[in-house]
Amino acid sequence: MDTKSALALLYRRAGFGASSSELSQASARGFTATLTEVIGGLKQTDPAADAIEVPTMMQPPFFKPNSLNTPAAIAKFNQTLSQERIALTNWWLGRMVATNSPLKEKLTFFLHCHFPTAISKVRFPAYMYRQNQIFRTLGSGDFTNLTTAVSTDPAMLIWLDAGTDRIPDPNENFARELMERFTMGIGTYTELDVRAAAFAFTGWHLNNATGQFAVASKLHSNTPQTFLGHQGITTGQEVINTVTRTRACAQFVVSSVWSRFAYPVMPSDPLVVELASTYSNDRNMTNLLRKVFEHPNFLSATSATGLIKQPVEYVVGALRALKIPAAKIPTIRPPVMNALASLGQVLFDPPSVGGWPQNEYWLSTSAALARWRFAHQLALVGDVSIVADSPAASRVEAAGELLSITSWSSSTAAALKKASANPHMLVTLALVSPEYVTN
Amino acid sequence: MTDFESNEIRPMDEIFGEPIEENVDHQDEARVGRGVDRRKFLALAGGLGAAGVLGATLGPRLWESFFSSSSKAPAPLKLAVSPASVSAKGPLILVTLYGGNDGLNTVIPYETSIYESNRGSLAIDPSKVLPLADGYGLHPSMPGFKRLWDAKQLAIVQGVGFANPNYSHFESMDIWQSGVPGEPVSSGWLGRWLDATGSSPLKAVSVGPTMPTLLTGVKVQGAAIPPGKLVLPGDSAEQMLFATLSQINSGEPKLLSEAAAASSNLIQLSHQMGPTLSRTATTDPLHLKNADPSSLAANGGAALAIANGGGGQSTPNVLATQLSIVANLILAGAVPQVYSVELGGFDTHVNQLTTQERLLGELDAAVSAFVEAMANTPHGNEAVVMIYTEFGRRVSANSSAGTDHGWANNVLIAGPKVKGGFYGEPPDLARLQEGNLVFTTDFRTVYATMFDKVLGVDPKPFLLGTFNSLSMV
Repeated sequence: MDTKSALALLYRRAGFGASSSELSQASARGFTATLTEVIGGLKQTDPAADAIEVPTMMQPPFFKPNSLNTPAAIAKFNQTLSQERIALTNWWLGRMVATNSPLKEKLTFFLHCHFPTAISKVRFPAYMYRQNQIFRTLGSGDFTNLTTAVSTDPAMLIWLDAGTDRIPDPNENFARELMERFTMGIGTYTELDVRAAAFAFTGWHLNNATGQFAVASKLHSNTPQTFLGHQGITTGQEVINTVTRTRACAQFVVSSVWSRFAYPVMPSDPLVVELASTYSNDRNMTNLLRKVFEHPNFLSATSATGLIKQPVEYVVGALRALKIPAAKIPTIRPPVMNALASLGQVLFDPPSVGGWPQNEYWLSTSAALARWRFAHQLALVGDVSIVADSPAASRVEAAGELLSITSWSSSTAAALKKASANPHMLVTLALVSPEYVTN
Repeated sequence: MTDFESNEIRPMDEIFGEPIEENVDHQDEARVGRGVDRRKFLALAGGLGAAGVLGATLGPRLWESFFSSSSKAPAPLKLAVSPASVSAKGPLILVTLYGGNDGLNTVIPYETSIYESNRGSLAIDPSKVLPLADGYGLHPSMPGFKRLWDAKQLAIVQGVGFANPNYSHFESMDIWQSGVPGEPVSSGWLGRWLDATGSSPLKAVSVGPTMPTLLTGVKVQGAAIPPGKLVLPGDSAEQMLFATLSQINSGEPKLLSEAAAASSNLIQLSHQMGPTLSRTATTDPLHLKNADPSSLAANGGAALAIANGGGGQSTPNVLATQLSIVANLILAGAVPQVYSVELGGFDTHVNQLTTQERLLGELDAAVSAFVEAMANTPHGNEAVVMIYTEFGRRVSANSSAGTDHGWANNVLIAGPKVKGGFYGEPPDLARLQEGNLVFTTDFRTVYATMFDKVLGVDPKPFLLGTFNSLSMV
């Protein structure tokens, strides 16, 4: 892979694509220096994204006792929640569009997909915001700390019912999904482990008045449990410490990262096993990401066409390429949130604790239509001057520069060439081309 | 402005999870999480195969790129079915309930003391149960199904499941949708049928943004119907060039081919069904107040997508909305023989009574109106609706007024030509394993019946084995 293609790939995966000037500056620096800078973004402040104002949201306890007694009061309350939710979604989209440290937002998005939590059940945008900030501030550090923070945060407590877990018959929801979906993967633990963990999590709850995590001693089981072969486990924290230090967890986390940043792999893949042994030394997510992007297989042909853009990546990438200012996201035509909904990926609202599937899942006929509708409208309002200002003969190439695509297939090139008299149409078609739909 | 409704608060009893210890006083009036946390459990990160006709060389390699949390790679399937062996029958309408609906509180053994003692406060009051026969009755929020039962148009298969069940939503739903227990495969049970119909993506369709595994074949993926009017963007020149983009280049990477195939399938869908979808986008053949196709048409279907994405938050009744689109297509004599619709939110670990009552009410309104709208119509008279979920729930309640993941469940089958009654053997409540109902009827027996009696094909090649069909259709 030539340096320019390698850098374009890095910018697509570690961010939301690159402008042609970013790409040419990066080419001058070389891959290693650019990677160092990209990774460095995780530790830096992000003034451009921080300039997007955090919306005002109701805070716990959210409403006064006996204040929601009439249908009108409930309707008004719901309307506020709905408005907050839209504002919060636009806030995060705005950050992704504005950021100068794209990997930080990309990692935040990855963690939203890894610990899928949906507002449809959590309800309060303030809680989704809190979780989102955990991903952003702790996501690049130690995975055990991150898992602890996410698990004791209101959004997750509500989402997986840990907040109602109690003796004598604890519900198994959080215990099971913690192991199956977040840390170890199915087949690496037994039903007895699920049961033991459920007992250790009893009494965990959210104080709805303060929004703070607490352990209710009266509802907590103090019976020592044997969990994953370790005896005497009594607390939820011990469970989290134990699961996140297993070999299965290392492979699960590495496969999750590799599958979203490079191409889909299974936890048993030799490449995963290799990376997992390094990861196990510190369980540090920044170091893991660096190892992924440095890996020779990341810069392989399999990797270069190994992912379909998720709708959020597709939409944010297109908004950035066509220079739509973050401030315009709430009002722009095409409506950004409608586009994401029609594509099946509403931020803060994954369909299940399994999160969003990937690749072929996004290639339905409905999604093809939704992408086309979005692209068609966006090309009319976005900045396509890099294409329009080029002579007709080099517009196909200019569209590639606009979207960080270094080569077109023969059928795409043929179609784009026929559209070169009409820059809007050319950009629309480039945005729905198989090359841009892949990541 | 978008119409995000899924985080709205319902009346007072559904606001918070059940209060715990030192919770503040207003918690008493404000309880019940909605339990709508899970909807789609597609195995292997979506489990979708080729997004269109891809040619023989691509199909068997599909599994290679599937992300899996399991340690086993899905194996490709070999089929020995020629397109000629498939005839045009149906329609079959699959209703997938995501999250694991509690079958024991749906078709209730309300006269059994073991039921009451296990369920405690979650047991449905026997005086409110809608009685059927043999000591079983329907949940009180299912008067429409009771009507179908009385009209002998509702079949209930009891004790359906498979050997070696596990408690994972993902794994269980994958087994149901792939139709293959044991080693995972990447194709769906109807996807394999789709491969054999001549590979038209329009023979089996879903309604909504994405596509469930069950309609994914090795060679072809069913089309997903976008709600609302189906009008392609751009002028004819742009549409022509879109078609050029949708051509598959030989030797190109798999995902590029699949992206191109999705686009070419869209063109095919638009040509064949676009006029019907556009013409009927604002009609509601189900005559339900909350099935609201016109609001969907207004914003390009985003409302349905949002509602779906919200895990079954249903204002309007999203299942009814999906079924109204299906009904319009069936009444117009459209090409699909199989339709897939879905409702989520059944994972009731907490406060099951409120959540399940609401969801079963939506299911009841939507399905009964659909079946009644189909009756005595030329195409609809043949319609058969099959309702299933990934697993039943644990027989005894937990300490959170909910139930955890369990095993066997019932499958409901309804339609004008269905022979109503009970089928299969009810699981013995006195002989539980790990606290769960043990299956008595292999789920592939139900699938065999759908192939044999509804789609009119020999089930064997699609189910990779021989299963006798039941007599309910």
